Amino acid sequence: MRLLIIEDYRPLQASLTKGLREAGFAVDTTRDGQEGLWYAMSNEYDVIILDLMLPGVDGLTILTKLRAKGRKAHILILTAKDTLQDRIKGLNLGADDYLVKPFAFEELLARVRALLRRSYREKNPQINVQDLRIDLTTQRVWRGREEIQLTPREYVLLEYLALRVGQTVTRTDIWEHIYEFNSCAASNVVDVYIGYLRGKVERQGKPPLIHTIRGRGYALGAQS
Amino acid sequence: MTRSLRTRLLVGIIGGMTLLLIIFSIIIHTVISRALLRQFDTSLVSTAQMLAASVEQDDGKIEMEFEDQQMPEFQSNKHAIYYQLWSLDGIIIAKSPSLDTDVLPLFGGSLGEPVIQPLELKNGQPGRAVGLKFRPRIADSDDKDYRQRKKGQALTLVVAKDAGDLQYQLRFLSSLLLIASVATITLSFLVAALVVRQGLRPLNSIAVEIAAIREDNLTARIGAEHVPTEIAPIKNRLNELLSRLEASFDRERRFSADVAHELRTPLAGIRSTIEVTLARVRDANQYKTALSDCLAIVEVMQTMVNNLLMIARFDACQATSRQEEIRLAEMVNFCWRSFSERALQRSILFENRVPAGITCESDSDNLSIVLSNLLHNAVEYADKAGRIWTTAQKVPASASLDVSRGSRDDSVEITVANTGCKLTRKEVSQVFDCFWRGDSSREDAGVHCGLGLALVQRIIRTLGGSVIAELQAGGVFLVRITLPVRRE
Repeated sequence: MRLLIIEDYRPLQASLTKGLREAGFAVDTTRDGQEGLWYAMSNEYDVIILDLMLPGVDGLTILTKLRAKGRKAHILILTAKDTLQDRIKGLNLGADDYLVKPFAFEELLARVRALLRRSYREKNPQINVQDLRIDLTTQRVWRGREEIQLTPREYVLLEYLALRVGQTVTRTDIWEHIYEFNSCAASNVVDVYIGYLRGKVERQGKPPLIHTIRGRGYALGAQS
Repeated sequence: MTRSLRTRLLVGIIGGMTLLLIIFSIIIHTVISRALLRQFDTSLVSTAQMLAASVEQDDGKIEMEFEDQQMPEFQSNKHAIYYQLWSLDGIIIAKSPSLDTDVLPLFGGSLGEPVIQPLELKNGQPGRAVGLKFRPRIADSDDKDYRQRKKGQALTLVVAKDAGDLQYQLRFLSSLLLIASVATITLSFLVAALVVRQGLRPLNSIAVEIAAIREDNLTARIGAEHVPTEIAPIKNRLNELLSRLEASFDRERRFSADVAHELRTPLAGIRSTIEVTLARVRDANQYKTALSDCLAIVEVMQTMVNNLLMIARFDACQATSRQEEIRLAEMVNFCWRSFSERALQRSILFENRVPAGITCESDSDNLSIVLSNLLHNAVEYADKAGRIWTTAQKVPASASLDVSRGSRDDSVEITVANTGCKLTRKEVSQVFDCFWRGDSSREDAGVHCGLGLALVQRIIRTLGGSVIAELQAGGVFLVRITLPVRRE
C-alpha cells in the first residue's frame, strides 16, 4: 500500500517514514507543501498523511486542491492544532481522519490501516479467499491451517490483490500502490514477485488462487 | 464614616430635615408665643387704662366709677382679673374683690407708661401684671370745658391676669410642632428610603452585571440601560477595563496555546522516534541514532523552555540588570566563539567591524545573550559561503533615530548583518513575534523555536534601547540595536 507523508518537522517525518516502511507500506515523503501537492497530484496514493502548518503551501490548501481535482486518496491530518474548530474545518474540507500530535505510533498505524480498508470497502480486518486467510492487522497469512511465511514485499502484493479480490489488477496498479516514487525496481519486478507469491501460496491439488489475465494483469480468487 | 452609600444618603437627608424642622419649629414657636403674649399684654394694658380712666378725684378723695359687683371679671373666679390701686405714698386705695386678702406687687414706670411683668398668682397660677402710673380725673371737671380738665395726684394701678390659658396654648403649640415634626421625619424617612433605593437601583443593576462576569466570559460588557449621567463614566471606565482585561487574557491564552502547540510537535517527534525504534529488535547503531535524534529534540525543547522563561521574566520586569562598561568589540568576539565552528562548516565569512575603542554602559550578561542570539541566527540563516558582519558606532543625541526617547545622552548603535536572507519585507517586520519562524522549508526545520529574536527584543527594551530588523539590498538581513551609552 502506498502512502505519502507531508510533514515539515524532520525528526517526526523521519521516524514516521521509517516506522511505516517497516510496517510494509511504500512511503513517499516530503517536508515541503508545494512538493507534497505535486506528489499527491501525480501519483495514486492509498493514504496521505498531511501536516497542516507547512512551508510553501499549507495543509488545508493542499487538501482543498486535491479534493477539487477529484483525488480520491484517503487523507489523515496530523497536526498540533487540537481545537474543535480545527478538527471540524479539516474534516469538512474533505479529510478522512484527524490525529493530534503527540500521538502513539500504533494508533497512527491502526488508523492508516482502517483508512486502507475503507479504500477497498473492506470492513473485516481478515480477508478470506477460499482457504487462504489474510490478517491485515498482524500481517500474517494462512492457507488452511498452515501459516505461510512471506517477505514484506510479497505480503504487500498479496494484501493488495486480496483487497481487490475478484477484480483484475493491472501491473500499473500494482506498481503504483506497492512501490515508492524513488524506487528503482525493474519493470518486470511485478511479474517476478507474482511468481514468488504463487510459489508460496498455491498448493498442488487445489485450484489456483492467483490468475493471470492475459494482456491486462492479475486477479486473486476462484476463477469463474 | 459609614461605608454604605444608602445609609449615608439617608442619614444626610434625615439629619438635614430634622435640623431644618427644629429650626423652623423654634421660629414658629417664638413668633406665635410672642404674638400671643403681645395680644395678652395689650388686652391687660387696655383693661388697666379702662380702670384708670374710671378713677376720679373728688375733693381729694379717690373714687372708682364702677361697681365691682357689676364686673364679674373682678370677682374671685378662675379667670379673674386682679387690680390694686395705690396712692403716691403707697397707701392701698382700692383693690379687686378677687384679690381677697392678697396683695399685688407695687410697680409702675413713669407716668402714663405701663410696665408689664410676669408674676405668680395666689393660687400658684402663672400670671402677668401691668403697672400704670396715672393722674385721675377731677370729679366735676368733665361736664365743663374738656380742655380745662384738671388732673389729680399721681396714683399707681397694678392689674394682673391669670395667664394659664396662654401657657396652655403655648404648650399645645409646642406639642403640635413636636408631633408634626416627628410625623414629618418619619414620613420623610420612608420617602427618602424609597427615593434612595430607586436612585441607587442603577448601581445595583451594574453590580449584578459585574457579578455575572467571569474570567471565562470577558467578552461581556456592562450594558445597563438608561444609566444616570453620574454613573455613566464609571460604567464606561469599567467597560474599558474589561476590554483591556479581555485583550490581555486573549494574549495570554494565545501565548499558552502557542507554547502548547510548539511543544507538541517535538514531543510527537520524540514519541514517534522511540516507538518506531522499539517496534522491533535493532542493532546498537540504530538505537544510538534514535537516542541522538531524541537528544537533539530535547536540546531544542530545553532552549525553547529557557527562552520562554527568560521572556516571561523580562515581560514581568523581574530580570535584574547591572551597569558596567562593556567593550563591544571584545564582547562580539567572545560571543562569536560559540558559532565559529558552525560558520566554518557552512563556509561563512565573519567580520567584526566594531571599532576597538567603542564602549557602552549596560548589563554584560544580557547584552551577550542578545549578541549570541543574533549571531546564532546569522550563522543558521546566512547562505552557504555567505558573509556575516557586525558594526557599532556612537550616535550623537541630536542625530539619534530614537527621537521619541528624547534622551540627551549619546547612544550607541550596534548592527548584526548576514547575507542570504530569503524573507520578504513583511516577514522581516514579524521576526520579533514569539514562535515566528522564517522560511521553514530550510534544512533544519524544527531546530529553531522562533523565540530568539523575541527574547532579544525583550532584553533590549529592558536595557532601555530599541531594536529593529531591516531587509537591505542584495538579501542582507540586518538587525539594528540602539542602546543608550549611559543608562539613566
